[in-house]
Amino acid sequence: MGGSASQLPKEQLAEYQELTFLSKQEILLAHKRFNELTKDERNPPTRVPMDKILALPELKSNPFRKRICHVFSTSEVKDGSLTFEDFLDLLSAFSDSATLEIKSHYAFRIFDFDDDGTLDGGDLEKLVNCLTGDTDDTRLTQEEMRQLITNILEESDIDKDGTVNLSEFQHVISRSPDFVSSFKIVL
Amino acid sequence: MRCKRLYPEEETAGLAVCSRDTIAYRLFHRNEIAFDSFVETQTRHQRVRRHHIWKHSTEQKCQPMSHYYSNEGIGNPAYYESDTLEVDRGFSRGFPHSNPYDAGQGSWHVMGAGVGMGSGGGRGPAEMLPAYSAATVPTPSVGVSRGGWRESWRDSASVLISPVHPSNPPTETPRWQPQQSYTVSMRLLGSRRMSLFPGGAAALDRLGLTEEDIQDEMENEEQDLVKNLVAMSTKDSDTAIRGLPMSFSEKKYIRSQVLAHRSTKQKHQFTCCADCSGQISMFVRRLRAGSGSVRQALALWQGFMKEVSGKFGSGVLSYFLFLKWLLMFNVFSFLVNFGFITIPQLVSGDAFTNTAKFNGLELLTGMGFFNNTIMFYGGYSADVVGQPPNAIYNMQLAYLLTIAVYMVLCGGSLIYSMATSFKSNFVLEGASGGAWTLLCSWDFRVVNERAVRQRKANLAVQLKESLSEKAQQDQLSSSEKLKRVGVHLAIWLLATGLAIGACAAIYFLSAYEQKQIVKGSDAATLLVPFVVSLVNLVVPLIYSLFNKIEHFSNPRMQVYAVIIRNVFLKMSILGILCYYWMNNVAHKPDTCWESSVGQSLYRLVVVDFFFLLLGSFFGEFLSNVIGTTCVPSLGVPEFDIARNVLDLIYSQTLAWISLYFSPLLTVIQIFKFFILFYVKKVSLMHNCQPPRKSGRAAQMQTIFIALLFLPSYVGALSVVAYTVWSLKPSASCGPFRGLRNPFAVVEKWMAVEQDWVVWIYEQVIRSELFFFLISLIVLVLTYFFWQLKEGRRLLIIQLRQRIANEGKDKAFLLEKLQKLQKSNRSSAGKPKTRMNNQRNVSNRQWYAEPGHEEALPDSRPPISESGFGGMRAAIPGSRPPMSESGFGVSESGFGGMRAAVPDMGLNGLRAAVPQSGPPAQLRADPASSTPSGLIQAMLARQQAEQDDDDYDY
Repeated sequence: MGGSASQLPKEQLAEYQELTFLSKQEILLAHKRFNELTKDERNPPTRVPMDKILALPELKSNPFRKRICHVFSTSEVKDGSLTFEDFLDLLSAFSDSATLEIKSHYAFRIFDFDDDGTLDGGDLEKLVNCLTGDTDDTRLTQEEMRQLITNILEESDIDKDGTVNLSEFQHVISRSPDFVSSFKIVL
Repeated sequence: MRCKRLYPEEETAGLAVCSRDTIAYRLFHRNEIAFDSFVETQTRHQRVRRHHIWKHSTEQKCQPMSHYYSNEGIGNPAYYESDTLEVDRGFSRGFPHSNPYDAGQGSWHVMGAGVGMGSGGGRGPAEMLPAYSAATVPTPSVGVSRGGWRESWRDSASVLISPVHPSNPPTETPRWQPQQSYTVSMRLLGSRRMSLFPGGAAALDRLGLTEEDIQDEMENEEQDLVKNLVAMSTKDSDTAIRGLPMSFSEKKYIRSQVLAHRSTKQKHQFTCCADCSGQISMFVRRLRAGSGSVRQALALWQGFMKEVSGKFGSGVLSYFLFLKWLLMFNVFSFLVNFGFITIPQLVSGDAFTNTAKFNGLELLTGMGFFNNTIMFYGGYSADVVGQPPNAIYNMQLAYLLTIAVYMVLCGGSLIYSMATSFKSNFVLEGASGGAWTLLCSWDFRVVNERAVRQRKANLAVQLKESLSEKAQQDQLSSSEKLKRVGVHLAIWLLATGLAIGACAAIYFLSAYEQKQIVKGSDAATLLVPFVVSLVNLVVPLIYSLFNKIEHFSNPRMQVYAVIIRNVFLKMSILGILCYYWMNNVAHKPDTCWESSVGQSLYRLVVVDFFFLLLGSFFGEFLSNVIGTTCVPSLGVPEFDIARNVLDLIYSQTLAWISLYFSPLLTVIQIFKFFILFYVKKVSLMHNCQPPRKSGRAAQMQTIFIALLFLPSYVGALSVVAYTVWSLKPSASCGPFRGLRNPFAVVEKWMAVEQDWVVWIYEQVIRSELFFFLISLIVLVLTYFFWQLKEGRRLLIIQLRQRIANEGKDKAFLLEKLQKLQKSNRSSAGKPKTRMNNQRNVSNRQWYAEPGHEEALPDSRPPISESGFGGMRAAIPGSRPPMSESGFGVSESGFGGMRAAVPDMGLNGLRAAVPQSGPPAQLRADPASSTPSGLIQAMLARQQAEQDDDDYDY
C-alpha cells in the first residue's frame, strides 16, 4: 500500500477524506484499484471508460452496474466513464458511513432509468426487470407487472400523481430498514 | 408616470406578503438592473395587467398557492413576454443537455463568468434583431422570469421552514435558521438538479426559461447554500458538505467557497480564541480519522466478511458480525478479569499447590487438576495484597467490583446497541409485505455471479408470492380459522410441554450427578451437560418440524414463534440449572460450592462447544450430503440464522453466569467462539446455499440484540446479583470466606473508609428515598416521552392525510383550470392560423410593430398552454388532448413541467396548498369561495385580459 500512498499527495488525500465518507485506508485502496484499471496503458487517462469499471468484481454482476456508472459519471458525453473522483463519489455513497439521505438520493437516481426526476411506470418496470433478471421463468408476466406497479404506486405515491418522486421514495426507504444495510459496496 | 407610481406600491405589497417577493426584489438589485428603467420600458398594458395580477395575489396574503402557481405562468410576467424569450431559443437548443442531473455540473463553473443580461456573446441571430436590441424589455423580462423560478423554489422553502408572516417587515435577507434552511436548500438543490432539465433545453424554453435563468437560479441557490454553510460551525459544515448529493468537484467547489467566505469573515473578526478552537477541532478531527484507520486496520476477518456478504448477503453476514461482537465482549471480559483479579492473585504469591495429577479428562470436566486453580472461584484468596501501610490491594473488593463494573459496562453497551439498532431498524408501521420492501432489499454487496442469479430468481418468486398473497387474503372460512387456532394452541402446548419435560429431566439428573460426584466418579459429571446440550440440539429440530404442520398467515409470525419457543426452552433449562445450584449446591457450606458450580458451568460450556460443532456437522454437512445425493428434493440446506444466533446467545448467557464462579472461563469462551467462527465459515462455504427469503435482516438483528439483553443478560445478572447479595459463601475457600454474604465486603470497606464515601454510600446506595425519587423521575419521564410519542403519531397521521388531500386538491384544481382554459379559448374563438402566424413567423418583432398590442393577446395562450399542459401531466392519466396543432409546443413543454411539478412533491405541495381549506368544501363550491390561489390567479388573469382588451380596443 506504500506505493499507492506515495502517488496520492497528502493534501489531496486529506481533501478526499474531508469530502467523502471514506476513511484513509479505503481511499488508498480505491486509488490502488483504480490505478490497476489503467495500468496497462502508457498514459493513464483521467477517465476510465465504463466497460473497464464494469469489469470490477464488485460491480461485475450487479444488475444496476450501468446505471451506477451513469449516475456517478461527470462525463460530458454521457458515456458513463469515471474519473477517480467520480469513483470515490461512488464508493462514498455506497460506504458504511454514508447517510440515509445520500444513499436514498443516489438509489433514486439509479432507479430513475429515464433520468426524468421521477419514478414512473416505465422506470418501475425496468427496475423490477432488473431485479428479477430477464430469463423467461423469472420474469413477471404483463398482468403481474401491471398489478405490481399498481401496488407499488398505491403504497408509495402519496400525492397520487402517478409517479414516485424523490421525497416519496425517501419516505418509502425510511420504512424499509434493510435498505441501508444492503445499499453497500465494499472494495 | 402612472406605472412608476404603481410599481413600488406593488413591490412593497409583495414584500409584505411573503419572502419570495423579498427575494425577487433582491434579485433585481443583485443583478444591478435599474428598476426604474425596467418600469419605464414596460409597455402600458403589461403594467396594468401586472398590476391586476399582483393585486390579486396580494389579496391572497401569504397563501403560498398563489405564489406557486403564479410562478408557473400567471403572475409571472415572463410568460407574457416570452416572445422575447423566444429569441434565446436558438441558442439554448444547441446546448447539449440530455441528462438532467448533470445539467448543472458544468454551470457551477460557468457561473459568475458573466451571465450578463443580454450581453451573452453566443446569442447568435438574436442580437441581429433590431427589435431585440432596441428594446430593453428583454433584460427585465429575464430578470423577472428568473425571479419566478426562484420563487417557486423559495416559496416551498420559506413556507416549509419558517413562514414569514404577512406582518413581518420586509428584510433584505430572509431570516433563515441556518440548520433548517441548510437541510431545505440541500434538499432543494438535490431535487432541483434532478428536475430542472427533464426534456433538455427545448422543454425549458417552452416554459419561458433560458439557459441563463437556470444558471443564475443555480448560482443563487448555491450562494444561499454557501451562506448557510458559513453560518455553521466548521465541524457541522464539513459534515453537511460531505452529505451533499453532488459530485466531488461540486463539493470541492462549495467547500472552497465556504472556506473563502470564512477566511474573509475571520479577517474582520479575528480572535485568538477562534483560531485556537479551529486548531483544536482540526486536531481532534485528525486524531479521530487516525483512530478510525487504526480500528479498520485491526478489524478482524475483514476479507472473509466481504466474501460472506458477497455470496450470502447481509442476513448471513449479520450472524458473523454478531459472533464477532460477542467475541469482543469476551475478550474485554477476559482482559478485565485477568488484569484486576488474576494478576494480583498471582502476584500475591500464595499460588495454588496442586497435588492431583493430570489425566486429560479434566479438560472436559474441569475437576481434579483444575480444582483449586485460578480458573475457579476457589482458587482465589481473601488476602490483602502487599504490605498494609503502603500498597494495599483488597482482593475481596477487587473481585466484587471488577465483576460489577464489567456487568455494568456490558449492560450499558447492550442498551446502547439495542437503542441504536431500534432507532435505525425498527419500523413504526409494519411495512406490510409491501413490494417496495422487496425492491429496496437488493443487496449491492452480493457479487458472486451464481448468488446474484439465485437472488434474482428468489426475488421474482417473492414478488409473485406477494402478489398472490394480496389476492388471497381474507378468504378463510371461520371453520378453517378455528382449525388453525386449534393447531396453534396444540403446538404451543406441545412445545411448552417439551421444554418443561426437559427441565424436569435435567433437574433430576443434576441431583443424580451430585450423588455421583460424592462417590468420586468424575466421568459421570458429564452426563448433565451432555443431556442439556442434546436437548438444545434436538428439541429445536422438533420445533422446526412443527413449521410443517402450522400455517401462519404471515411468514414473520412463523419466525417469531420459532424464536420464542427456542428462547423459552433454552432459558428455562438455564433457569432450572441455576435454581438447582442456588438451592441445593449452595447450601453445603463445608464444600467449596462456588467452585463446583463453576465446574458445572465449565462442563456446560465445553460440551456445548462440541455440540455446536456437531450441530454444524449434522445441520449443514449431513443435510447437504442428503440433499445433494440421497433426496435431491430437499436441496442444499440454507444457513439457519435464527437457530445459530440463538445458540450463540445461549453460550453467552453461560459465560455471563460463570463470571462470578469462574472468572477465567471467558478464555474458554474466546477459544470457543474463535474456532466456531472458522468452522461455521467452512461449513457455510461448502454446505449451504444463500437464503431464499431475503430482507428483514436488519430487523432480525435488532431482535437478536434485544434477546441477548432481555432474557440472557438480565437473567445472568440476576443470578450473579442474587448470589452476591443473599448466598452465604463457602467457608473454606474463595475470597469471601467467612463473610455473611459477598456484598458484606462493601460494608466492611465502608467501615474503614473516609466520610464522604460513606456518606454517598449511605445516602445513595442504601437509601430507599433515593431510589424512590429516581424511579419517580424515570416514571414521569417515561410518561412524558410516551405522550410525546403519541402526539407524534397523531401528527404523522394528520400530515399524511394532508399530503393525500393536497394531492387530490392539486389534481382537482388543475383539472378545473384546464376546463376553464378550454372554455375560455373556445369562447374567445381566435383563428388558429393567426396564432400560428404569430408564433412561427415573427413573434419576436411585435414590440417594434405598431400593431403589436393587438397581437399580444394571441401570443399568450400558446405559452400558458404549454405551462398548463405540463401541469396537467401531474394528473395521472389525464394527458391533455392536443386539440390544436399549433400547440405542438405544449407537447414538449410537457416533460419540463412534468418533472418540475410532481417533484415539488411533498415539499412543494405542502407549500403550494396548505391553507386552502378542506377539499370537500372546495369541491362543493370552488368558484364562489375561491379557496385556492390558483383559481384566484386564474380569474385575475382573465380579468387582466379583459382589461387589456378594454385598453386596446
